[in-house]
Amino acid sequence: MRIRLRERPRWRALPAGMRDQSAAEVANRRRLEGRLLALFARWGYVEVATPTLEFYETFLRGAGPGIGDRLLKLVDNGGEVLAMRLEMTVPLARLAATRLLPAGRVPVRLSYVAPVFRGQERGSGRQREFIQAGVELIGAAGPRADAEVIALAAEALKVAGVAGAVIGVGHTGFLRGVMSTLPEAAVDVTRDLLYRKAFADLDATALPGQARELLRVLPTLRGAGALGRAAGLVTNGEGRAALEALGRILEAVEVHAPEVQVEVDLGLIRDFDYYSGVVFEAHGPHSGLPLLGGGRYDDLLAGFGHPAPATGFALGVERILEVAAEADGCAAPIVVAYAGDCYSKAVAVAARLREAGMPTVVDPVGNAPAAEEALCIAVVAGRGLRVLCGSREEEATGETVVEAVRAVMAARP
Amino acid sequence: MKALALAVPTGRLRDGAERLLRTVGLLPDGLAADRRLLVETSGGARILSVKPADVLTYVEQGAADAGIVGRDMILEQARDVYELLDLGFGGCRAVVALPAARAAGLWQPGRVVRIATQYPRLTARYFEAAGRPVEVVVVSGTVELAPLVGLADGVVDLVVTGRTLRDNHLVEVAEIARSTARLVVNRSSLSRSPRVADLVERVRAHLAEGEPSVRV
Repeated sequence: MRIRLRERPRWRALPAGMRDQSAAEVANRRRLEGRLLALFARWGYVEVATPTLEFYETFLRGAGPGIGDRLLKLVDNGGEVLAMRLEMTVPLARLAATRLLPAGRVPVRLSYVAPVFRGQERGSGRQREFIQAGVELIGAAGPRADAEVIALAAEALKVAGVAGAVIGVGHTGFLRGVMSTLPEAAVDVTRDLLYRKAFADLDATALPGQARELLRVLPTLRGAGALGRAAGLVTNGEGRAALEALGRILEAVEVHAPEVQVEVDLGLIRDFDYYSGVVFEAHGPHSGLPLLGGGRYDDLLAGFGHPAPATGFALGVERILEVAAEADGCAAPIVVAYAGDCYSKAVAVAARLREAGMPTVVDPVGNAPAAEEALCIAVVAGRGLRVLCGSREEEATGETVVEAVRAVMAARP
Repeated sequence: MKALALAVPTGRLRDGAERLLRTVGLLPDGLAADRRLLVETSGGARILSVKPADVLTYVEQGAADAGIVGRDMILEQARDVYELLDLGFGGCRAVVALPAARAAGLWQPGRVVRIATQYPRLTARYFEAAGRPVEVVVVSGTVELAPLVGLADGVVDLVVTGRTLRDNHLVEVAEIARSTARLVVNRSSLSRSPRVADLVERVRAHLAEGEPSVRV
């Protein structure tokens, strides 16, 4: 007898970081996506779509070689290395630089809602497929363009029903300025420390005193007065210019009078290398992870052959749903039950209910209790309510059915 | 205001963590000797007792606003948290150690060594950077046993005094990293909660004035 390894029933499970969504989850997600896309459209952003798969090389070109490890890669039949998109900024930069900008349309305002993918997550329960919604404003420079995107991010949080969020705004030029004052030998070590957010290790480095002090307090340079404190610590031109730019951007954001708190956060370090100016992140009260993030990436499009300034943000749809005010899920349909010989009348009644916008199903076997004298019965599921619609003798008009169901639903929500 | 949630490791760093928290006023009564995993202190904090290897998970996900954890774990797990302060206590070193009798022969460039460790990523990174081939065997404790019974050639482990290595006839051939206890915070909490910023400031002030901490 041969002994075989027992098959591991993978078909029961899903790959790590992938999940199914229930009807209620999908309904809530679709509603949020619809509200966000409508908001983006009101601000003049048009929705576009790009393919899920692109060449691996495209992502490296956009986000730098460090991104390679985070991509979900595959090899197609022709031996080409493809990758599933990690985020939407790089695909949209490619789209804009190769198709839209050469056609002469500037600035371009794009929006999207799309699933994005990760090759691996570090064992921390994060999803490898999730949905991002966002905008990119391409071909516009200056503080008012940045303010538009930040104000729109604030508006998105409001539309999504997130209470108590804070948007922190920093600037990559501030750190670049600090780095420019460092002796050559210290630059790589310091960049590595900052990338790992290992501020505690700064003490052990051979940094000049002033730079070390500035980097040490970096995570606390937030909120009111942070710009002033930072200005007192910074000694180089690039750092000063960044602080001034940040001040102008926040002034312009103020004009929009956002209902979400927006504050300076100079310690903000975003994961992507392409950011070149203002960067921002929103944090909500009940999640340890940022709800949305974005910033300016003026050098990214040049990599795709058409230099242009650009700025944008992406928000995590599922993360927002976790913290947003309780949504409705999906309504159970009305069930039309009927006596055995009244099928055609039940179908007609259901048609009228559907026309009136009410989700309705016709019971396939009738199911009207024998004792009922009604022609058919619309049952509002989950509420224990039944609406009797006409009788065997008299013809039920569609209108009376719709009115009756509406009245019942309104009476007991 | 929401109480500050602080992940404190069981094991090696617990006493030092308790002393520190008591000094900065978060833990006026000390940690009880019972086995409760979640304690609300009169200092306005919720203390979560977690395994050292899990502190970063709690903090990264926001289940804890801040945590105390060894740098060894931070290097091994590479999580997305802000490592703000070197707390000075819990000093140790991560080293490669081989059996005394065979060390010279095994530690030749280009020779593959089998290393038993609780730190697979730290180990792989070190050997890769050093250009030495390695096979990593992951174990979850009593690492020094592995070379004695032929499970591995040597170990990568934390060393405080070197006693465990000596008792098991191992010698250190390379230092990989130095570690002390660190204060890590969740980025979101740092942005939103004044209590977290306050904790950081209190600990920073204590470290600045306090007795010079023991460094290795």
